[in-house]
Amino acid sequence: MNAEPLLTMRGIVKRYGGVQALRGVDFDLLPGEIHALLGENGAGKSTLMNVLSGVVEPDEGDMRIEGATTRFADPRAAQTAGVATIFQELDLVPGLDVTANLFLGREITRAGVLDRGAMRRAAREHLAVVGADIDVDQPVGELSVGRRQMVAIAKALTYASRILIMDEPTAALTAAEVDRLFRVMRDIAARGVGIVYISHRLEEVPRVADRVTVLRDGRVAGTGPAAAPQSELVRLLVGRPLAELYPKRGARFGRTVLRLERARFSPKRARAGWQAPDDVSLRVRSGEIVGLAGIMGAGRTELLTALYGAAGPGAWSGVVEVEGRPARLASIRASRGDGLGLVTDDRRGSGLMLRDSVGRNLALTVLKRVSPFFLMSPAREAALASEAIKTFDVRPPLPQVIVGALSGGNQQKVVLAKEVLGQPRLLLLDEPTRGVDVGAKGEIYARIRALADRGLGVLIASSEMPELIGLCDRVVVLRKGRTVAEFDGGADEHAVLAAAEKSEGNAHE
Amino acid sequence: MNDAAPMRAASAAPSPTGRRIDVFAIVVRFQSVIGLVLVAIGGIIFSPRRHGHILFLAPDNMANIVRAVSETGIIAVGMTFVIITAGIDLSVGALLSLCSVLTATIMTSGGYGLIPTVLFVVLCGSAFGGAQGLISNRFRLEPFIVTLAGLQVARGLALVISGNQYINISYGNGPGLAPPVFAILGDRLFNNVVPVATLVFVVVAAIATFVLNFTRFGRYVFAVGGNDRAARLSGVPVSLVKVSVYAITGFVSAIAGVVHAGQFNFGSANDGTGYELVAIASVVIGGTSLFGGSGSMIGTVAGAVMLGALANILQLNNINAALQLLATGAIIVLAAVLQSLVRRREGLGR
Repeated sequence: MNAEPLLTMRGIVKRYGGVQALRGVDFDLLPGEIHALLGENGAGKSTLMNVLSGVVEPDEGDMRIEGATTRFADPRAAQTAGVATIFQELDLVPGLDVTANLFLGREITRAGVLDRGAMRRAAREHLAVVGADIDVDQPVGELSVGRRQMVAIAKALTYASRILIMDEPTAALTAAEVDRLFRVMRDIAARGVGIVYISHRLEEVPRVADRVTVLRDGRVAGTGPAAAPQSELVRLLVGRPLAELYPKRGARFGRTVLRLERARFSPKRARAGWQAPDDVSLRVRSGEIVGLAGIMGAGRTELLTALYGAAGPGAWSGVVEVEGRPARLASIRASRGDGLGLVTDDRRGSGLMLRDSVGRNLALTVLKRVSPFFLMSPAREAALASEAIKTFDVRPPLPQVIVGALSGGNQQKVVLAKEVLGQPRLLLLDEPTRGVDVGAKGEIYARIRALADRGLGVLIASSEMPELIGLCDRVVVLRKGRTVAEFDGGADEHAVLAAAEKSEGNAHE
Repeated sequence: MNDAAPMRAASAAPSPTGRRIDVFAIVVRFQSVIGLVLVAIGGIIFSPRRHGHILFLAPDNMANIVRAVSETGIIAVGMTFVIITAGIDLSVGALLSLCSVLTATIMTSGGYGLIPTVLFVVLCGSAFGGAQGLISNRFRLEPFIVTLAGLQVARGLALVISGNQYINISYGNGPGLAPPVFAILGDRLFNNVVPVATLVFVVVAAIATFVLNFTRFGRYVFAVGGNDRAARLSGVPVSLVKVSVYAITGFVSAIAGVVHAGQFNFGSANDGTGYELVAIASVVIGGTSLFGGSGSMIGTVAGAVMLGALANILQLNNINAALQLLATGAIIVLAAVLQSLVRRREGLGR
């Protein structure tokens, strides 16, 4: 390639508290290039892009745009310099219409008054560039996810961007929408814009990108042409062959811990975007790890929260049995009483008291056990905490460390340990390795398997298909709140995916 | 494909921040105690002297300081619970006034005896606070709004009951007279040194320190403030805790109201104005985070005494009240900035 790089980043270092997110990363982007950035959760992709888009300032390193040294104090400065980001959670305001969203913060005015006519005309032009036929007066909240994505891209391009960062733009799209998105991306690149394309999906890389860079543990593991074989990418991503990541499957299963037969949860108040469990049949035995597969919006999280009694007012119907006895699971208290435990997909939002110590977080589910006659017993608390820290190998192994200062993987171990201290018989796990680096992932898989071997039943929801297939004894596929298929562990990934996505094509719009 | 970086052993854990001694964190943790010491030193230096005696350190002056802070201090102790749950209670000053009116009215007209009267008033205060907690919790309203309304209601009730008159308390035996023992609240004990009001403050603070740090309920309070969703999912009775902390502020406001009536020998619907802000300031200066989840009762007590000592120094030097307000404001900002620096250093944002 002969062009002068649009962007060069050299030796970028970023630390968060005690955690080093980037350990000296080099990254280049050429004009007109689509450069895929790969990495497991926690590898540093988001941090690197946050540096580029001015969200965080690097601790060390040099960044040049078209040869000029640049340092962005805030996202606005980056936008002014022509760097636009399209985040995974599209930063659009659902209640405002398309036009208003496109010009949010940079409204066209005449004599201080909004010039709606001019904005609507400009909005149509911008949308035409991305080839999207969208009504500019429609509230964004009424558009499908794919169409919102197009609006977000059009919005990013209104910054007259030289560099476009796209963070997992295909995560929530259907196959047809992905095709269209890729066409638009190539059109945009053809005009000289450099695109950084972040994705989890390896198979997409050769389809759309020119080059690929793989990050691992805050360093560049490798960089090269996008046509590199997938096995090579996997090796770079994981740092070792995949097989060792997952523990051995369970051999013996005990009695049934959870049985759902045509079970249905009717919430008292319907909520938009909340896919209630509609027709669910599945079984989890003691010692067994069962996976819940499904595309985004299939109702995996909803099923787990409803089982845990945390889905708000509502009632289960059909057969719902815990350890052979009918269970109502009507409240968190009731579900816990029946022996259920839940680890949510959001450890920072609903799992941990981030500013409190590891020990005090661990004690949360066992406060009754460590406070006879309502008085806290520091000795009992310390004993339970140190036991949990040892079992789950939390590092550093100190109960007094503030949880928020731990790495994602260690935080996740604390959440898991906390729930396990509560002595559940059925453990519900939602995305148990989200935002966890690969090394810690393997450890967490090993702990989950060890728990199952001790007789727990485990039900895991995950959007990472390899994880479900590699870890689980069985995988149940959920679609629109219904169980539609069941596979044995180690099944073919494509077969499971096909079952999860079936009939999705005519399901939207 | 060219490897840009060599393979790295995956076992190196990030270095923990917890092991080394963190001077800055300790300073912030005990900021109000340190602040109190600094203010005391400043008091000694800048105190006017008479016949070589430092007026600031005179027993009478010391007693004045701790007596002056006892009512807001008692309230601040309760406020600490609320603020640790990330709530706020603006009704406390008005509730103090309502309770002082209730106390005086019942003493001078009921003749129910001291203990039933005090129990009744304290029960009313707790119920008032608890009701605010219930409303805020049941209808998912911001405690700020609910207790702002509560402030108006309490003030209004006090005005109605008192007819906007001072309800003076006369002591003696007989109808319309309060039991003389009640007047002890305005006295000093132990060689006329320790004000009884301050003793009440000390007892309330001691009990609260114990409850917050050594009981299950105390841990619930921290958990609700630290992350109420996590607490709920872990089986903590979050709603009950949230209602309870407002019952606690109601309870302490009532105690402060009784103390107020006893100290000044009247109940008035116009007293206690702005006490809520002094109490909140004491809590914040004491290092309790308005975001909830962390805080210290000892910090609150030190914060309350520090504010009192500061006001005292300024008064001794005849510096006018406007400057006192400025100084208090500056200290609150300083305390908040320190807290924010800690959070940023921990990489937790905000």
